[in-house]
Amino acid sequence: MITLKNILLKYAQRVILDIPELSLIEGRRYCLIGENGSGKTTLLRITAGTLKPDTGTIQGLPTEQVGYMPQAPYAFSFSVKKNVEIALDDDPNCEALALAALSKVGMISFAQSRGNKLSGGEAQRMALARLIAKPRKLLLLDEPTSSTDIRGMDLIESTLLDYNQACGCTLIFSTHSPAQALRLAEEVVFLDQGRIIERGPATQVLIDPQSEIARKFLRHWQM
Amino acid sequence: METIRQIFDLLFGVNPELRQIIWVTLRMSFFSTLISSVIGIPLGVLIGSNQFKGKRLLNRILSTLMGLPPVVAGLIVFLFLSRSGPLGTLKLLYSVTAMVIAQVVLITPIMTGLTANLISIKAPLIRETAAGIALTPLKRMLFTIYEVRVQLISTILVGFGRAIAEVGAVQMVGGNVQFKTRVMTTAIMMQTNMGHFEFAIALGIVLLLIAFLINSLVNRIQDRQIT
Repeated sequence: MITLKNILLKYAQRVILDIPELSLIEGRRYCLIGENGSGKTTLLRITAGTLKPDTGTIQGLPTEQVGYMPQAPYAFSFSVKKNVEIALDDDPNCEALALAALSKVGMISFAQSRGNKLSGGEAQRMALARLIAKPRKLLLLDEPTSSTDIRGMDLIESTLLDYNQACGCTLIFSTHSPAQALRLAEEVVFLDQGRIIERGPATQVLIDPQSEIARKFLRHWQM
Repeated sequence: METIRQIFDLLFGVNPELRQIIWVTLRMSFFSTLISSVIGIPLGVLIGSNQFKGKRLLNRILSTLMGLPPVVAGLIVFLFLSRSGPLGTLKLLYSVTAMVIAQVVLITPIMTGLTANLISIKAPLIRETAAGIALTPLKRMLFTIYEVRVQLISTILVGFGRAIAEVGAVQMVGGNVQFKTRVMTTAIMMQTNMGHFEFAIALGIVLLLIAFLINSLVNRIQDRQIT
């Protein structure tokens, strides 16, 4: 169980994130949803350890085997294959693992291309390959399909489902697409102004939200 | 017409003084750029890739030093190397070494500032991705340097361009001694004052040619990066 306790982050007196408690069961798939500026990215960054909250602790976080993909992952100017290999430390099979991961996200034909020549969507697929090239216990993804076309989105979603089933890793991702949340997540955490407004099974939160804020937000989609 | 013929004779003939001047200029510029790069680039990487207390003040000092007037740099080095100065016993004044030291004082802040600027733009883009795949800080830094390698080469060439075109500091600490510390810029100044315009123009042409070569090299490297 991963538990976030009393997480508080303020910036210029404004609350960016305020989470008294959030428990996440290992191996499950969670989606963070909410409007722009609701705290999704901040929550992911704090969990990934790239941002320090003012107060609070995270318990049960695996010390290793955590992978985080930011919204605009950086693609180094060396080859796409090498871009994946750098996440594999010095594994003797790093080349084979990198190629297998690239194949899963439909990027094998780009293996020798330069990373900085990829489009935004291709870079996201490559960045996912970088994360899934080895088994991890926790994957944190910030809008992993925000730049992909529908084929890329389908590839990423199916890869994530397969990876979650194969190595039982916990998956936490943010999205602006309730449809994607329904396809990919078992549970949804709805955020508004840095606070958790609602949380529960994906179908329940997305189809029949209990809070007024979530209902208002999801009305745009349901319409 | 006679003047043009004299310029051509100087450029393509055998003039030991002209050759000596070009050789001293290139030697001084090469070593001062090399030493400035060895000091300035790692410093710039450290400043650009890290957040620390006093960084703003340091950046302000660096910006000021980037615009350090050459005569001030020359004066500082002169005072240090003069007979009564702290390094007077080394007897380096009016030598190529003194000129290299003055150039290093001038160019190192430029190298450091430009490198820090490059790294501070690139590092935040890489930081999150690197943390997401648990890259070690050393690897992250090396990859960041790799990502700005072309711009770093341009920075080095900018430093070389500055070194070769500089006149004030090298005049002060080098003394423009014939066959010893005379470089193209100080020679141009002296020959112009003496009314020997052919010699000054010939040197000017060589200087311009070198500047053209450096710029072509910078453009070529940048073009290769774009394509």
